[in-house]
Amino acid sequence: MANALHHVAWERCLLEPRHDANLEAYARRKMGVPHPAIRYFVDCPWLARALVDLHAEYGLLIRLDLHLGDLISLVVSQENSCRYCYAAVRTLLRIQGMSEARVQRMEQDLTREDLGPKAAAAIAFARTQSRSVPTVAAREKKQLLGAGFDVDTMKEIAFVVASTDFMNRASTIPAIPSRRVEQAPDRLRVRLLRPLIARVLEAHRSRGRPAPPVGPAAYPYAGLVAAYAGSPIAPVLAQTIEAMWTSPLLTRRCKLLMFAVIARGIGCSACAAEADTTLRGESLTERTLTQVLTHLDAPELDPVERVLVPFARETIWYEPAPLQRRARGVREQLSGPQFLEAVGVLALANGLCRLGAVLADHA
Amino acid sequence: MTWALLTVVALLLLGALHRERRRTQALQAQLEAAAADLQHLQEACSRLAPVGVVQRLIADGAGAGAERKVVTALFADLVGYTALSERLEPSVLARVLNGYFQRMSDAIHDHRGHVATFIGDGILAYFGALQPNPWQCDDAVRAALAMRGAIRDYNEELAAQGLPPLAVGVGIHRGPGLAGLVGSRERTEYAFVGRTVNLAARVQTLTRTHQVDILVTEALREHLDPRFVLTPMPAETVKGIAEPVVTYAVRE
Repeated sequence: MANALHHVAWERCLLEPRHDANLEAYARRKMGVPHPAIRYFVDCPWLARALVDLHAEYGLLIRLDLHLGDLISLVVSQENSCRYCYAAVRTLLRIQGMSEARVQRMEQDLTREDLGPKAAAAIAFARTQSRSVPTVAAREKKQLLGAGFDVDTMKEIAFVVASTDFMNRASTIPAIPSRRVEQAPDRLRVRLLRPLIARVLEAHRSRGRPAPPVGPAAYPYAGLVAAYAGSPIAPVLAQTIEAMWTSPLLTRRCKLLMFAVIARGIGCSACAAEADTTLRGESLTERTLTQVLTHLDAPELDPVERVLVPFARETIWYEPAPLQRRARGVREQLSGPQFLEAVGVLALANGLCRLGAVLADHA
Repeated sequence: MTWALLTVVALLLLGALHRERRRTQALQAQLEAAAADLQHLQEACSRLAPVGVVQRLIADGAGAGAERKVVTALFADLVGYTALSERLEPSVLARVLNGYFQRMSDAIHDHRGHVATFIGDGILAYFGALQPNPWQCDDAVRAALAMRGAIRDYNEELAAQGLPPLAVGVGIHRGPGLAGLVGSRERTEYAFVGRTVNLAARVQTLTRTHQVDILVTEALREHLDPRFVLTPMPAETVKGIAEPVVTYAVRE
């Protein structure tokens, strides 16, 4: 039966899958089942690891109900029209034993019938954060706290939204094929083995435990890691952000420029200020930097930057098929690994800047 | 005796199971039909209002609040429409107009604008109204340049059919206003209210005075990429604005 995103146009995939036994084994160890898309991300190791590690349900949430976390992922993926991620969460819910009719009811009315007021507030907050107009996010945050969630649970919800935003873009920009995942719950093999798969999945899903604090860090956006001090989210987030900055496929300046553009487009002044400050140490004159950030191009940029800076803004609000067509044009101008890292940086920047907008009190 | 009883019970249970299954199937069919109806309704809504507005309505409801924003308004109008309308058969005129509206809307949409309304043969579009857009001025001027290119291509098609060419005048201004769902109980629309829209419309009328196709205001030029080639025009007074309005023609 068709799901709510079945009508969303989806282009042909821009990436070639490649086998990597170690990476696939890593994903299987962590999730219990093979990751259906990890082969597409092999050429950018930090991105492939992040797509496994940032799944909140594998030991990252101490307070938030895991099932509510699944619903938040479903809603955010629906918001972002990510056919692949949406199908993946939907399949997970089906395997966990939720009937097709119940999933459909949830799709049609996720804010009223099936949820209590607290869960409905969490869903409303997740939607707003994903759309991310910072002043509105601040208002929704107050409502969420008013609904009875404490600050730490609010931060966990914000993390689930941010990580889903990240995964949605990492899958949507290169048009990761969604059909196999969409059809999975109806396959005979999956239906027969459903109880077994459910048990394996359940055994790997776990609540998190408090983690020792992460040491002081000097890389950009380390402040977001600090906001999760004591939570198991902090070390995973730190590892992902640090690995992204140190990866050599794109220059640090290029990555910073993409972050700066996305922070501006979302309207997160704190995130934009952080990117701007760091960019001032990156061999760009003040005039050039202003030109780039206000008009998305300058002759002083290198060829890769001139492709990726204007493309960065396309990933903030988008319709999948036009975005994927533009991504095809970008892909033709970059090497495969460069393109993949660009996808990862853009996806992560969208997640982190939305997270920053919520955590930084923009009221 | 016991076997007979068990058989009857089993048959009753099977019957109940069968009825329940049929009921579930019927409910599922109803659900699918309702989902299809909803899909059709959303598609119909998308033809009546911009997709972004429909999404916003679905997400926030009709009570979504208005907010003050700085938005770029683009006003486009066909030059010589009255003469054209007198020369062409109504059915041909409607076809020509629909082709014009479609091409202009595509150019606007491709540059992240949204068409707020068609006013006669005019088009009112906004950049940065539905979502924050710090690059709205560049987007609006690029959209206007794309409209210029689209009209040129469309005129070639019209000429091949023996139809007269179209010309369009575009006025663009950036400024503050109130954005949100406004209207009466019977009719509500997503609108941007304020002096900015009026000025964009007035500047559009100046395209005839200055004999150019795209004019932008000083307020917009200040935020525009300096690599756009502009020519300053003499300041002109326009209806409803006390001070003479300084405009710039966009060359490329």
